[in-house]
Amino acid sequence: MGSGVLGYTLRRVLWAVPVLFVISVMVFYMLRLAPNDPVDAILGRNAYQEDVANRLREKYGYDDPIYVQYWKYMKNLAQGDLGLSTQHQDFTAGEVIWPKIWTSTQLNMFALVIVFGLGIPVGVYAALARGTFLDPLAIGGWLLLDAIPTFVMAPILIWLFATQLGVVGLTWEGPYSTNAILPILIISLPGVAGVARLMRASVISVIGEDYVRTARAKGLKESTVIITHITRNALLPMVTVIGLSLPGLTSGSLFVELFFGIPGIGRESLAAATTPDYDVILAIVLFGSVLFVGANILVDVLYGFIDPRVRIGAGRGG
Amino acid sequence: MSNKTLTLMMGLVAFLILAVGAVFLVVALGGSGDDDSQPADGSTQKTPGASGTSTGSTAKICESKVLIVPGDEPLAPFDPILVGDESTAAYIVEIFGGLVTLDRNLKVVPDIAESWTVSPDGLVYTFKLRGNALFHDNTRVTANDFKYSLERAADPANASPTVKAYLGRIKGLEDKLSGKATDVSGVKVVDAQTLEITLAKPEPVFIQELTYPVAFVVKQSQIEQDPRNWTRKPIGTGPFKIVEFSPAEKIRLVRNDRYHLGAPLLEEVVFELGGGSISTRYQNDEIHIGFVPALNLKDIEDGKSDLSKEYVPVPQMAVSYITLNPNQAPFDDLKVRQALAMSVDKASINDVLLYGYYRVADGILPPDMPGYKESVSGFKYDIDAAKKLLSESKYAGNFPRIILTYGGSGGNSPETLVAIQDGWTQLGLDVQLQAVDSAALLREQRRGTFQALSEGWIADYPDPGNFIEKLFGSDSPLNYTKYQNADVDRLIERASAEPDDAKRADLYTQAEQLILNDAVTIPMFWPVEHTLIKSCVVNYPSVSMAIPKYRYIDIDPTK
Repeated sequence: MGSGVLGYTLRRVLWAVPVLFVISVMVFYMLRLAPNDPVDAILGRNAYQEDVANRLREKYGYDDPIYVQYWKYMKNLAQGDLGLSTQHQDFTAGEVIWPKIWTSTQLNMFALVIVFGLGIPVGVYAALARGTFLDPLAIGGWLLLDAIPTFVMAPILIWLFATQLGVVGLTWEGPYSTNAILPILIISLPGVAGVARLMRASVISVIGEDYVRTARAKGLKESTVIITHITRNALLPMVTVIGLSLPGLTSGSLFVELFFGIPGIGRESLAAATTPDYDVILAIVLFGSVLFVGANILVDVLYGFIDPRVRIGAGRGG
Repeated sequence: MSNKTLTLMMGLVAFLILAVGAVFLVVALGGSGDDDSQPADGSTQKTPGASGTSTGSTAKICESKVLIVPGDEPLAPFDPILVGDESTAAYIVEIFGGLVTLDRNLKVVPDIAESWTVSPDGLVYTFKLRGNALFHDNTRVTANDFKYSLERAADPANASPTVKAYLGRIKGLEDKLSGKATDVSGVKVVDAQTLEITLAKPEPVFIQELTYPVAFVVKQSQIEQDPRNWTRKPIGTGPFKIVEFSPAEKIRLVRNDRYHLGAPLLEEVVFELGGGSISTRYQNDEIHIGFVPALNLKDIEDGKSDLSKEYVPVPQMAVSYITLNPNQAPFDDLKVRQALAMSVDKASINDVLLYGYYRVADGILPPDMPGYKESVSGFKYDIDAAKKLLSESKYAGNFPRIILTYGGSGGNSPETLVAIQDGWTQLGLDVQLQAVDSAALLREQRRGTFQALSEGWIADYPDPGNFIEKLFGSDSPLNYTKYQNADVDRLIERASAEPDDAKRADLYTQAEQLILNDAVTIPMFWPVEHTLIKSCVVNYPSVSMAIPKYRYIDIDPTK
């Protein structure tokens, strides 16, 4: 049968093609069938004239039947052309979305480091403090932050740190300036509680294991036991969590971007959807789908590596 | 030892948690206290710490000649002939230029044309170009460049949405636009420095319309070399050159040192397109121009706030209004329209719902528009008279349901519309509000299928005709309800041929009053941009129209 990891991977990748095809067709048709029209948005009220509108429809190909438009779009896509933005008329869809996705991704990467960097120690601490009031306090404090919606937290932190204390500015100067600290905190703080609770549960399940008792019996220092024997083993399930959160890195945080004027993909998605900017919406949705499908394949393949039963089970038919 | 490390670690985490909790507690308490005390004493809004930092950084943004302002995302590319919206035009007028331009008092003044003469019959305009007008690449602007630019605008392949409306008066332009001619017969190059434009009819408003971007001069060689992407770094003749445009992020314009009307005083203007917390950033000394939040307006206007001395109300050349479609029942009955116009309590809506943010519109033309007359007046609020009119209507006792459609931008806010609905319901009518997206609103406008519509209009150029003729002339494509009043049409026709400004304004005033009496439109508000301007910014023109303004502005750190 010659399956092996390679064959399994190949099959999974091939299966992704119809999935992406269905997504693209659905999104394409839904956009075109919706009642709003990008040509209306381009011309606005003052300038609308039927002949000018028709010329624009011709330019963007909106005068073709939808299946023809779809075919043309796919042909261009195969050549790496994502089409033209109608909202930013000087730019192609690719030029619009890539810098914005990159901006959001950088912010999210910082946030990811904070979420896990804080969440893991808090979880370990809460697990070790189990039975005392410090356990619910630690988790509860972060849950409180989780419970505050972004659009409440953002103005409060802006008021406190920018207006009152004046320690940061609100002008967007890229993700590597001090002005990016507030948005990064607002993206990351609500996520800490979830990681902390997972970590706490994981530590608690590890703490009663024989090897922990053995380590203590050997007379190892308590810090060594906690760090090397407990935390390291409890981290294993976190790897999956980190892996699954990776595709989310490229998505935007709409409210944070609105409050801080960040040129990220969240704001662009909103603007594109309301305009509507067909090719930009399609590019964002397709990019997200590819990423999501790709991440799923990756996880499945990795599981196949770890556990041969998975790939044999899946390979039965082929 | 080991226990100590652990305790230390635990302590650190607990401290972090408590600190965050405490901060939120303080903020929550402080925040609510502040809200309660603010109306009583708005001036103590800032703590001593904040004012300490603010004086330091005020100096900082006032030290360089770089002006940072909130900007609107351009909706069109930077091609003068494709611009139909105010937000793109605001950039175009800084980067490009034409024969004539508007000064800060909205008077037509020479730009690249040094002077011009009009033939006695009002048909032939002869423009003398100045010798020192240069493109940004330091090449001379000639009459041929204008001929190319105007014919490019009229080329149907370029699909300019504005050419017909603004340059349609030029002889032969329509022929070129419909493909009947290869050039525009009314545009003639006499010599390199002389351009002659002939009109089809003598219409003095033509010179106003020449200030609009579609008449601006563009660089032929650049467009032909890079027809697709030239608009990213366009070569214009204006006071500023564009050096950066990142969509939804920023636009940067730098000074054109060789600008023929005098180089700008600023080195650079940065338009922040990201939005964000504008008023906070303004108070934080990160931008030079900010906007007053509606809630703080009273304090700032009354001089009770620190910001009062930086407050400048900028009246907009715009009006928001409700259109009653005379072709849809029950608005085909004049009495019904008049009754509805009488039962909108604009003053209360503005005071109570909108914190006095706007000026109540008695008429259509905003007060800052040339030709505005205070004597023009719509119907006064009078519920009893309205009820009486309704009882005399042919629909009395049998009124169809009224749907008031709204959406997009430029119209009235939903809470305003609920108040209007409330007023009309008091008359015993069944009134429904219907929200649509902006594209759908445009379609409803075009098809004229609505009963009542909430809309707005912003002036393109400072002439009353831009409101009266464009919106209510029976052959104007923008008169969506096909409103027709023979007296109004006669007055408009006389006005557009009238060379004397005062007489023309008078004719438009008469037309405006007739339109108001017909109650096809209920003017609601004249919007005002309540602007905050840092004191070091001098000469900021308080005009909201898209006219070149940044070349006058300076940053003076001593102020």
